[in-house]
Amino acid sequence: MEAVSLAPVEQQSVSSDAAAEPDVPWITIVWNDPVNLMSYVTYVFQSYFGYAREKAETLMLDVHTKGRAVVSTGPREKMEIDTEALQGYGLWATFQKDE
Amino acid sequence: MAKGFKRRGRGVSLRYAARLDDGERALVAGLMEQVRDLLTPDEPVAAQRRTGDDAFDDIVAGLGDLGVELSADSPTWPDTGQVPETARSFGERDPALERLLPAGNRADDQVAAEYRRLTEDGLRRRKIDGLERSMASLRRAAGDAVELDGEGAVAMLVALTDVRLVIGERLGLREDDDVEKLEEAAVGLEPAHPLAFALAVYEFLTWLQETLAHALLPGADQG
Repeated sequence: MEAVSLAPVEQQSVSSDAAAEPDVPWITIVWNDPVNLMSYVTYVFQSYFGYAREKAETLMLDVHTKGRAVVSTGPREKMEIDTEALQGYGLWATFQKDE
Repeated sequence: MAKGFKRRGRGVSLRYAARLDDGERALVAGLMEQVRDLLTPDEPVAAQRRTGDDAFDDIVAGLGDLGVELSADSPTWPDTGQVPETARSFGERDPALERLLPAGNRADDQVAAEYRRLTEDGLRRRKIDGLERSMASLRRAAGDAVELDGEGAVAMLVALTDVRLVIGERLGLREDDDVEKLEEAAVGLEPAHPLAFALAVYEFLTWLQETLAHALLPGADQG
Protein backbone atom coordinates (compact mmCIF):
# COMPACT_ATOMS: atom_id res chain seq x y z
CA MET A 1 0.00 0.00 0.00
CA GLU A 2 1.05 3.52 -0.68
CA ALA A 3 1.02 4.49 2.96
CA VAL A 4 3.60 1.83 3.68
CA SER A 5 5.97 2.73 0.86
CA LEU A 6 5.81 6.40 1.83
CA ALA A 7 6.49 5.76 5.50
CA PRO A 8 9.73 7.28 6.77
CA VAL A 9 12.58 4.85 7.21
CA GLU A 10 12.57 5.42 10.93
CA GLN A 11 8.94 4.41 11.20
CA GLN A 12 9.53 1.30 9.16
CA SER A 13 12.30 0.23 11.45
CA VAL A 14 10.03 0.72 14.43
CA SER A 15 7.37 -1.52 12.95
CA SER A 16 9.85 -4.20 11.97
CA ASP A 17 11.22 -4.15 15.52
CA ALA A 18 7.71 -4.68 16.77
CA ALA A 19 7.19 -7.54 14.32
CA ALA A 20 10.39 -9.16 15.56
CA GLU A 21 9.10 -9.43 19.14
CA PRO A 22 7.71 -12.92 19.18
CA ASP A 23 7.38 -12.80 22.97
CA VAL A 24 4.70 -10.13 22.90
CA PRO A 25 1.43 -11.95 22.29
CA TRP A 26 -1.51 -10.45 20.52
CA ILE A 27 -5.10 -10.69 21.65
CA THR A 28 -8.53 -10.77 20.08
CA ILE A 29 -11.17 -8.70 21.84
CA VAL A 30 -14.94 -8.83 21.50
CA TRP A 31 -16.70 -5.60 22.47
CA ASN A 32 -20.21 -5.34 23.83
CA ASP A 33 -22.90 -4.07 21.53
CA PRO A 34 -26.65 -3.71 22.10
CA VAL A 35 -27.69 -5.78 19.09
CA ASN A 36 -26.03 -9.17 19.41
CA LEU A 37 -28.00 -11.63 21.50
CA MET A 38 -26.48 -13.38 24.49
CA SER A 39 -27.55 -16.74 23.07
CA TYR A 40 -25.97 -15.91 19.73
CA VAL A 41 -22.65 -14.75 21.20
CA THR A 42 -22.51 -17.96 23.22
CA TYR A 43 -23.25 -19.94 20.07
CA VAL A 44 -20.43 -18.22 18.18
CA PHE A 45 -17.87 -18.81 20.95
CA GLN A 46 -18.85 -22.49 21.10
CA SER A 47 -18.95 -23.15 17.40
CA TYR A 48 -15.96 -21.08 16.25
CA PHE A 49 -13.53 -21.67 19.12
CA GLY A 50 -14.95 -25.04 20.13
CA TYR A 51 -15.21 -23.78 23.72
CA ALA A 52 -17.37 -25.73 26.14
CA ARG A 53 -20.76 -24.21 26.98
CA GLU A 54 -19.58 -23.00 30.38
CA LYS A 55 -16.49 -21.22 29.05
CA ALA A 56 -18.47 -19.71 26.17
CA GLU A 57 -21.11 -18.38 28.58
CA THR A 58 -18.49 -16.96 30.95
CA LEU A 59 -16.84 -15.09 28.07
CA MET A 60 -20.21 -13.90 26.78
CA LEU A 61 -21.12 -12.55 30.23
CA ASP A 62 -17.73 -10.79 30.43
CA VAL A 63 -18.51 -9.06 27.14
CA HIS A 64 -21.99 -8.16 28.36
CA THR A 65 -21.12 -6.91 31.84
CA LYS A 66 -17.56 -5.59 31.43
CA GLY A 67 -17.99 -4.20 27.94
CA ARG A 68 -15.31 -6.41 26.41
CA ALA A 69 -13.53 -9.71 26.77
CA VAL A 70 -10.28 -11.16 25.49
CA VAL A 71 -11.43 -14.24 23.60
CA SER A 72 -8.13 -15.53 22.22
CA THR A 73 -4.38 -14.97 22.59
CA GLY A 74 -1.53 -15.83 20.25
CA PRO A 75 0.52 -14.65 17.29
CA ARG A 76 -0.73 -11.67 15.33
CA GLU A 77 -1.62 -13.71 12.22
CA LYS A 78 -3.87 -16.01 14.25
CA MET A 79 -5.56 -13.05 15.96
CA GLU A 80 -6.27 -11.52 12.56
CA ILE A 81 -7.88 -14.77 11.46
CA ASP A 82 -9.99 -14.90 14.64
CA THR A 83 -11.01 -11.25 14.25
CA GLU A 84 -12.03 -11.79 10.64
CA ALA A 85 -14.06 -14.88 11.53
CA LEU A 86 -15.83 -13.16 14.44
CA GLN A 87 -16.58 -10.10 12.31
CA GLY A 88 -17.99 -12.52 9.75
CA TYR A 89 -20.43 -13.58 12.47
CA GLY A 90 -21.25 -9.91 13.11
CA LEU A 91 -19.52 -9.68 16.48
CA TRP A 92 -17.62 -6.47 17.18
CA ALA A 93 -14.12 -7.96 17.22
CA THR A 94 -10.70 -6.31 17.12
CA PHE A 95 -7.13 -7.49 17.62
CA GLN A 96 -4.21 -5.73 19.23
CA LYS A 97 -0.91 -6.28 20.97
CA ASP A 98 -1.36 -7.50 24.52
CA GLU A 99 -0.15 -4.52 26.52
CA MET B 1 -49.03 -16.21 13.41
CA ALA B 2 -45.33 -16.85 13.09
CA LYS B 3 -43.72 -19.79 14.84
CA GLY B 4 -40.02 -19.63 15.65
CA PHE B 5 -37.34 -22.12 14.67
CA LYS B 6 -37.26 -25.58 16.21
CA ARG B 7 -35.12 -28.65 15.63
CA ARG B 8 -36.75 -31.46 13.72
CA GLY B 9 -35.25 -34.90 13.25
CA ARG B 10 -31.71 -36.11 13.88
CA GLY B 11 -28.47 -36.81 12.04
CA VAL B 12 -28.62 -36.32 8.29
CA SER B 13 -32.34 -35.55 8.47
CA LEU B 14 -31.85 -32.79 11.08
CA ARG B 15 -33.72 -29.66 10.04
CA TYR B 16 -34.51 -26.28 11.55
CA ALA B 17 -38.12 -25.43 10.88
CA ALA B 18 -40.20 -22.29 11.37
CA ARG B 19 -43.55 -21.02 10.11
CA LEU B 20 -43.64 -17.55 8.58
CA ASP B 21 -46.48 -16.24 6.47
CA ASP B 22 -46.11 -14.64 3.03
CA GLY B 23 -45.75 -11.13 4.40
CA GLU B 24 -43.22 -12.12 7.04
CA ARG B 25 -41.06 -14.06 4.59
CA ALA B 26 -41.18 -11.22 2.05
CA LEU B 27 -40.29 -8.69 4.75
CA VAL B 28 -37.26 -10.62 6.01
CA ALA B 29 -36.03 -11.50 2.51
CA GLY B 30 -36.51 -7.90 1.37
CA LEU B 31 -34.45 -6.58 4.27
CA MET B 32 -31.72 -9.11 3.54
CA GLU B 33 -31.70 -7.95 -0.06
CA GLN B 34 -31.23 -4.35 1.02
CA VAL B 35 -28.34 -5.29 3.31
CA ARG B 36 -26.85 -7.32 0.44
CA ASP B 37 -26.99 -4.18 -1.71
CA LEU B 38 -25.34 -2.18 1.05
CA LEU B 39 -22.48 -4.70 1.12
CA THR B 40 -22.04 -4.90 -2.63
CA PRO B 41 -18.89 -2.93 -3.53
CA ASP B 42 -19.44 0.24 -5.54
CA GLU B 43 -23.16 -0.28 -5.38
CA PRO B 44 -25.01 2.99 -4.88
CA VAL B 45 -26.62 3.12 -1.46
CA ALA B 46 -30.06 1.53 -1.51
CA ALA B 47 -31.65 4.92 -0.88
CA GLN B 48 -30.32 6.29 -4.13
CA ARG B 49 -31.76 3.51 -6.26
CA ARG B 50 -35.05 3.07 -4.52
CA THR B 51 -37.46 5.85 -5.20
CA GLY B 52 -40.20 4.52 -2.95
CA ASP B 53 -40.62 6.50 0.23
CA ASP B 54 -42.43 3.96 2.35
CA ALA B 55 -41.28 2.98 5.79
CA PHE B 56 -39.95 -0.34 4.54
CA ASP B 57 -37.27 1.21 2.35
CA ASP B 58 -36.41 3.64 5.11
CA ILE B 59 -35.42 0.88 7.50
CA VAL B 60 -32.17 0.04 5.78
CA ALA B 61 -31.64 3.19 3.73
CA GLY B 62 -31.78 5.38 6.82
CA LEU B 63 -34.46 6.54 9.18
CA GLY B 64 -33.54 10.19 9.25
CA ASP B 65 -34.49 12.17 12.31
CA LEU B 66 -36.69 9.99 14.46
CA GLY B 67 -37.25 12.77 16.94
CA VAL B 68 -35.99 10.74 19.87
CA GLU B 69 -32.93 11.20 22.02
CA LEU B 70 -31.04 8.11 22.99
CA SER B 71 -27.62 7.95 24.54
CA ALA B 72 -25.04 10.58 23.83
CA ASP B 73 -24.12 10.80 20.17
CA SER B 74 -20.78 9.18 20.70
CA PRO B 75 -20.82 5.73 22.23
CA THR B 76 -19.36 5.30 25.67
CA TRP B 77 -16.47 2.92 25.71
CA PRO B 78 -15.34 0.91 28.69
CA ASP B 79 -11.72 1.95 28.13
CA THR B 80 -11.96 5.47 26.86
CA GLY B 81 -8.23 5.99 26.99
CA GLN B 82 -7.68 3.26 24.46
CA VAL B 83 -10.31 4.00 21.87
CA PRO B 84 -9.84 6.87 19.47
CA GLU B 85 -12.80 9.06 18.53
CA THR B 86 -12.71 7.60 15.07
CA ALA B 87 -13.31 4.04 16.23
CA ARG B 88 -16.88 4.13 15.04
CA SER B 89 -16.44 5.71 11.65
CA PHE B 90 -13.71 5.02 9.18
CA GLY B 91 -13.55 7.91 6.76
CA GLU B 92 -16.81 8.81 5.09
CA ARG B 93 -18.40 5.40 5.10
CA ASP B 94 -21.99 4.72 5.98
CA PRO B 95 -21.95 3.87 9.72
CA ALA B 96 -24.09 0.79 9.07
CA LEU B 97 -21.53 -0.53 6.60
CA GLU B 98 -18.85 0.34 9.12
CA ARG B 99 -20.67 -1.75 11.72
CA LEU B 100 -20.78 -4.72 9.33
CA LEU B 101 -17.09 -4.26 8.43
CA PRO B 102 -15.55 -2.61 11.48
CA ALA B 103 -11.94 -1.55 11.95
CA GLY B 104 -9.92 -4.53 13.13
CA ASN B 105 -7.52 -2.55 15.28
CA ARG B 106 -8.44 0.49 17.31
CA ALA B 107 -4.96 1.47 18.40
CA ASP B 108 -2.99 1.61 15.16
CA ASP B 109 -4.45 3.07 11.96
CA GLN B 110 -1.81 1.43 9.81
CA VAL B 111 -2.51 -2.02 11.23
CA ALA B 112 -6.24 -1.36 10.79
CA ALA B 113 -5.76 -0.33 7.15
CA GLU B 114 -3.66 -3.39 6.40
CA TYR B 115 -6.21 -5.68 8.04
CA ARG B 116 -8.99 -4.06 6.03
CA ARG B 117 -7.07 -4.47 2.80
CA LEU B 118 -6.52 -8.17 3.49
CA THR B 119 -9.95 -9.12 4.80
CA GLU B 120 -12.64 -6.78 3.55
CA ASP B 121 -13.32 -8.33 0.15
CA GLY B 122 -13.64 -11.79 1.67
CA LEU B 123 -15.88 -10.57 4.48
CA ARG B 124 -18.16 -8.80 2.02
CA ARG B 125 -18.28 -11.87 -0.21
CA ARG B 126 -19.17 -14.25 2.64
CA LYS B 127 -21.82 -11.94 4.05
CA ILE B 128 -23.36 -11.46 0.61
CA ASP B 129 -23.35 -15.24 0.02
CA GLY B 130 -25.06 -15.89 3.35
CA LEU B 131 -27.67 -13.20 2.75
CA GLU B 132 -28.44 -14.55 -0.72
CA ARG B 133 -28.64 -18.11 0.49
CA SER B 134 -31.05 -17.07 3.24
CA MET B 135 -33.18 -14.99 0.84
CA ALA B 136 -33.45 -18.06 -1.39
CA SER B 137 -34.45 -20.26 1.58
CA LEU B 138 -37.24 -17.85 2.47
CA ARG B 139 -38.45 -17.45 -1.10
CA ARG B 140 -38.64 -21.15 -1.90
CA ALA B 141 -40.55 -22.01 1.29
CA ALA B 142 -43.45 -24.39 0.72
CA GLY B 143 -46.47 -22.64 2.09
CA ASP B 144 -45.53 -21.06 5.38
CA ALA B 145 -42.98 -23.73 6.28
CA VAL B 146 -39.36 -22.54 6.26
CA GLU B 147 -37.05 -25.53 6.56
CA LEU B 148 -33.26 -25.30 6.75
CA ASP B 149 -30.47 -27.83 6.91
CA GLY B 150 -27.54 -27.20 9.26
CA GLU B 151 -25.57 -24.98 6.88
CA GLY B 152 -28.68 -23.10 5.82
CA ALA B 153 -29.55 -22.51 9.49
CA VAL B 154 -26.12 -21.03 10.26
CA ALA B 155 -26.34 -18.82 7.16
CA MET B 156 -29.79 -17.63 8.28
CA LEU B 157 -28.55 -16.98 11.83
CA VAL B 158 -25.70 -14.80 10.57
CA ALA B 159 -27.86 -13.07 7.94
CA LEU B 160 -30.40 -12.15 10.63
CA THR B 161 -27.51 -10.72 12.66
CA ASP B 162 -26.33 -8.57 9.76
CA VAL B 163 -29.84 -7.21 9.15
CA ARG B 164 -30.32 -6.46 12.86
CA LEU B 165 -26.92 -4.73 13.02
CA VAL B 166 -27.94 -2.40 10.20
CA ILE B 167 -31.38 -1.64 11.64
CA GLY B 168 -29.84 -1.23 15.11
CA GLU B 169 -27.40 1.30 13.68
CA ARG B 170 -30.23 3.13 11.90
CA LEU B 171 -32.20 3.20 15.15
CA GLY B 172 -29.17 4.66 16.92
CA LEU B 173 -28.76 1.77 19.36
CA ARG B 174 -25.50 2.28 21.26
CA GLU B 175 -26.06 0.86 24.70
CA ASP B 176 -27.83 -2.15 26.10
CA ASP B 177 -30.86 -0.26 27.41
CA ASP B 178 -31.39 1.80 24.25
CA VAL B 179 -33.98 -0.65 22.90
CA GLU B 180 -36.05 -0.14 26.06
CA LYS B 181 -35.70 3.62 25.75
CA LEU B 182 -36.89 3.43 22.16
CA GLU B 183 -39.85 1.28 23.19
CA GLU B 184 -40.85 3.92 25.71
CA ALA B 185 -40.45 6.64 23.09
CA ALA B 186 -42.60 4.67 20.65
CA VAL B 187 -45.53 4.18 23.03
CA GLY B 188 -48.58 5.83 21.55
CA LEU B 189 -47.14 6.19 18.05
CA GLU B 190 -49.19 5.00 15.10
CA PRO B 191 -48.01 1.54 13.95
CA ALA B 192 -47.16 3.08 10.55
CA HIS B 193 -44.86 5.71 12.10
CA PRO B 194 -41.34 5.02 10.79
CA LEU B 195 -39.94 4.57 14.29
CA ALA B 196 -42.77 2.32 15.49
CA PHE B 197 -42.57 0.25 12.31
CA ALA B 198 -38.78 -0.09 12.34
CA LEU B 199 -38.84 -1.02 16.02
CA ALA B 200 -41.55 -3.63 15.47
CA VAL B 201 -39.56 -5.14 12.60
CA TYR B 202 -36.37 -5.11 14.69
CA GLU B 203 -38.10 -6.87 17.57
CA PHE B 204 -39.62 -9.46 15.24
CA LEU B 205 -36.15 -10.23 13.84
CA THR B 206 -34.73 -10.39 17.38
CA TRP B 207 -37.36 -12.94 18.37
CA LEU B 208 -36.81 -15.01 15.21
CA GLN B 209 -33.04 -15.00 15.65
CA GLU B 210 -33.33 -15.92 19.32
CA THR B 211 -35.37 -19.04 18.48
CA LEU B 212 -32.82 -20.08 15.85
CA ALA B 213 -29.81 -19.43 18.11
CA HIS B 214 -31.37 -21.58 20.83
CA ALA B 215 -32.16 -24.35 18.35
CA LEU B 216 -28.55 -24.28 17.11
CA LEU B 217 -26.75 -24.13 20.46
CA PRO B 218 -24.77 -27.34 20.89
CA GLY B 219 -26.58 -29.49 23.41
CA ALA B 220 -29.88 -27.71 22.83
CA ASP B 221 -31.61 -31.00 21.99
CA GLN B 222 -30.70 -32.43 25.37
CA GLY B 223 -32.38 -29.64 27.25
